[in-house]
Amino acid sequence: MLDLQGYGPRLIEGAGVTVQLAVLSLILAIILGLLTASAKMSRNWLLRRIATVYTTLIRGVPDLVLMMLLFFGGQIGVNAISDMLYYNYEIDIYINFNAFAAGVLTIGFIFGAYMGETFRGAFMAVDNGQIEAGKAYGMSDSLVFRRIRFPQMMRHALPGLSNNWMVLLKTTALVSVIGLTDMVRVAAEASRATHEPFTFLLPVAVVYLLIASVSEWIFARLQKHYDIGFGGQ
Amino acid sequence: MAATPTPLEVRNIKKRFGDTEVLKGLSLQAQKGDVITLIGASGSGKSTFLRCMNLLEQPDEGELIVHGEPIRFKTTKHGREPEDWKQVVRMRAKLSMVFQSFNLWAHMTLLENIIEAPIHVLKKPKKEALEHAHALLERVGLSARANAYPAQMSGGQQQRGAIARALAMDPEVMLFDEPTSALDPELVGDVLKVMRDLANEGRTMVVVTHEMSFARDVSSQVIYLHQGLVEEAGPPEDVLGNPQSPRLQQFLAPKY
Repeated sequence: MLDLQGYGPRLIEGAGVTVQLAVLSLILAIILGLLTASAKMSRNWLLRRIATVYTTLIRGVPDLVLMMLLFFGGQIGVNAISDMLYYNYEIDIYINFNAFAAGVLTIGFIFGAYMGETFRGAFMAVDNGQIEAGKAYGMSDSLVFRRIRFPQMMRHALPGLSNNWMVLLKTTALVSVIGLTDMVRVAAEASRATHEPFTFLLPVAVVYLLIASVSEWIFARLQKHYDIGFGGQ
Repeated sequence: MAATPTPLEVRNIKKRFGDTEVLKGLSLQAQKGDVITLIGASGSGKSTFLRCMNLLEQPDEGELIVHGEPIRFKTTKHGREPEDWKQVVRMRAKLSMVFQSFNLWAHMTLLENIIEAPIHVLKKPKKEALEHAHALLERVGLSARANAYPAQMSGGQQQRGAIARALAMDPEVMLFDEPTSALDPELVGDVLKVMRDLANEGRTMVVVTHEMSFARDVSSQVIYLHQGLVEEAGPPEDVLGNPQSPRLQQFLAPKY
């Protein structure tokens, strides 16, 4: 029988951190990705330029380096502001919050760039006649986006989105370097303390696989939903 | 009593793509109940002209007056643009367009296609929109296909569905952009029949078409365009029955 030597609850807690971190980062990445894609397709020169610099920068620098840069740089900035605003908060709550937020911000920021490319391709795959029909029927740009562009784009975006999500999920393991106690960090600590690495790393691998399998199932459902109306019935 | 405003009036529309001037000053006035057909060879500018009427293309010059309300334009570094997009959105809701390639929204059923704009643009209650939609489906002979997706329907069914979608807006004017050009010959008849019925019941329509018998039978006015200019215009008896310009005579002559 698997003996986690008392690390069980902490591992579960760590798994919770991993899932929360991944999901919140994904949401941020999707929002940033949609904004980036819109900026890249905009006719405004400056917006296109900013989006290009963003994606080039992110895709050209290792995740780990970016994470430390954003965390330590962000930390200095956030602390300066927080010191002013929240000087009577408990110090440890305050640091924990920042590590988690920094993790979400960094991962969301990194994957926003990849999502941007995914969404841009997907938006361009939507037949322009569908958009024109929306405009011709008096829909505002935001209504066209919500009712036509987005739902039709999603079926093209989902394969790339699901791919990005899997990579994002595994990237969360990097947050231990900025002091966040995710599942991997707990397992690493436990391995060092007990000299039994497999006892802890194998369950961690299984949990990642489990999350990945559940995600695949969800993405398959979403794909089915967004494929409705497009052949293959 | 004030006269009802003219549903659609365009004056001196000009449009260029790059170095090519495709519309060189075109005007048109659609009074209530008018059926105006635009004919001409491909490249004559008839579709572009129609698309300028609901601003899917931005004319470089000219005026556009919908139901007595002139559209306001401004000049930006991207060219001439409507000053107030809200006004454009409001104007477009009064002009329904039927496209050559149908453009029914692929991710919605036929019924959903028909109630979409009435609910989200005209803010009609859903129940009312549904009732109207079912009546329109009945009218275009597609009641049985209400829950089909466009990809499951034939071209003719899609186009009749698209006409039902246009009618659901209770439009002031219906714009038809070569509605039968993408259809197999045996499917053209059903669509034309629906259009003839609409014309006969007094709908105001502007139709770009190659169907000369349709133009002859139902138009109040036929406009023949050549290279972005009106070459000949008038009642169908004159324009189609007794064409004056050699080019129009050539255009109307049997091809084989």
